[in-house]
Amino acid sequence: MLPLQALPDGFTLFQEPVVVALLLLVVGLALGLVVGRVNKQILITAGVPDAVEGTPFERTARSLGTSTVSLLARLTSWFVYGVSILAAIRVANFFEAPSFWIGVAAFVPKLFVAVVVMILGFIVADKAELIASERLRDVKLPEITLLPLAVKYTVLYVTLLIALSQVDVNTTALLVLLTVYVFGVVFLGGLAFKDFLSSAAAGMYLLLNQPYGIGDEVRIGDREGIVQEVDLLVTRIENEEEEFIVPNRKVFEHGIARMR
Amino acid sequence: MSDLRELFGDLFDDVDGILLFSPSSSYYERFDDLDDDDPDVILVGPENVHDADAYVELPVQFEDASDRIEFAIEGAVDEGIVDEGDDLLCALGLFADDVDSLTRVRANPAEGSGIYELFVNSRAEPDVIRAVFDVAIELGQKGQKGKPVGALFVVGDAGKVMNKSRPLSYNPFEKSHVHVGDPIVKVMLKEFSRLDGAFVISDAGKIVSAYRYLEPAAEGVDIPKGLGARHMAAGAITRDTNATAIVLSESDGLVRAFKGGELVLELDPENY
Repeated sequence: MLPLQALPDGFTLFQEPVVVALLLLVVGLALGLVVGRVNKQILITAGVPDAVEGTPFERTARSLGTSTVSLLARLTSWFVYGVSILAAIRVANFFEAPSFWIGVAAFVPKLFVAVVVMILGFIVADKAELIASERLRDVKLPEITLLPLAVKYTVLYVTLLIALSQVDVNTTALLVLLTVYVFGVVFLGGLAFKDFLSSAAAGMYLLLNQPYGIGDEVRIGDREGIVQEVDLLVTRIENEEEEFIVPNRKVFEHGIARMR
Repeated sequence: MSDLRELFGDLFDDVDGILLFSPSSSYYERFDDLDDDDPDVILVGPENVHDADAYVELPVQFEDASDRIEFAIEGAVDEGIVDEGDDLLCALGLFADDVDSLTRVRANPAEGSGIYELFVNSRAEPDVIRAVFDVAIELGQKGQKGKPVGALFVVGDAGKVMNKSRPLSYNPFEKSHVHVGDPIVKVMLKEFSRLDGAFVISDAGKIVSAYRYLEPAAEGVDIPKGLGARHMAAGAITRDTNATAIVLSESDGLVRAFKGGELVLELDPENY
């Protein structure tokens, strides 16, 4: 009986739910810290700080004394903390209504994903806006700034949809709106760029097979001259008086006559 | 100090504009508090790092200070930032990278050599001309296997140039889509420069042909005596067409640019 008397103390200690819960809590906190650190290292090695440089989101984060990378790292830590706290509460059996806590436990990962998606969405949207405006910088037209903004808000809208559907909000109406918008862009875009597309297709053939090259004297329709340049969309033909910029689809429409 | 101010004061009297050549940020910020009555400040440099309103881009860091100033003034006049006949104060770094020299120049583009025209108002795009200069300068520095090489690039108006020339050999660039400025091009051009003949490059930078024998009418071409057949051909083809020719001399290793039948610019590759 003597050895058994010594054991029960320790034995029951581990049986005690509060102790197990505390243990879980400690392990969870440590794990969260480590995961956060590792995540931060991975993000830095992956070149995330360079990628988000200059985006408004990063600037806002900086002004709040943090950065996108540490924000994401901290978020993963919090996620692990949250899970361990919930697990601890569950083990400790503090509350009588476990179904409520099961619901919360199921909801936390979704919320986590939603928040991460939103952060990523903000960064991608800002980055897309930056790239778009950089591309259009040479076009000195005041209205052109609308385009990068449209790109930004489209990306934001899509991420919002993903995040909302992640937390089980009904997004059907928003989805319909998105469908209409995408259809409009694709349809009208296709209508507007129809000539561009057919010119590009013809240009592809002209560049690959080169039926005529720079320096050849050709006639396309009623335009006649020396070929100066062939690119994807247009062929430039020049004679003594005029320079023609012929869309490549016209080349296919009229055919090419090579002068001898 | 007041004596010095008196002695050099006429340098600053009635100046219409100030040209700052690649100034550092702190140097540029000194000019922030100038008000409207003061002369305009015009930034000149390879990049508009200070977001200046009045800015002239330098495509090549001209080693020769007078080339640099001439380019900037012609550019500023062309863009309408300064008027002809304005007195301009140029602050540039002559011996150091920082600004160390001041010079007063009157804007008179009619007397200029047309350096700015060469880059900006050529048929070919400015980037293409700059890329060809880069290639020529690098060829001049390194040569082919240590030996000096010569090369002749005819840039722009390629259709006409092709009709005023004939092939010396099979064209290695036939049916290819190589552009100057592509990373592999420098090696290729170096190899092909071993053979005689000109490279023909289109307005958009496509290398149309190598090994071309140029056949322009050379009448009335006036280039400095002592330059060889390559330079004569370059001068003549630019007179006959709207092309720009960039020549690397085999004998003295200098890079020269011709436009409209005239020598416009002379660079020493060793200085870059």
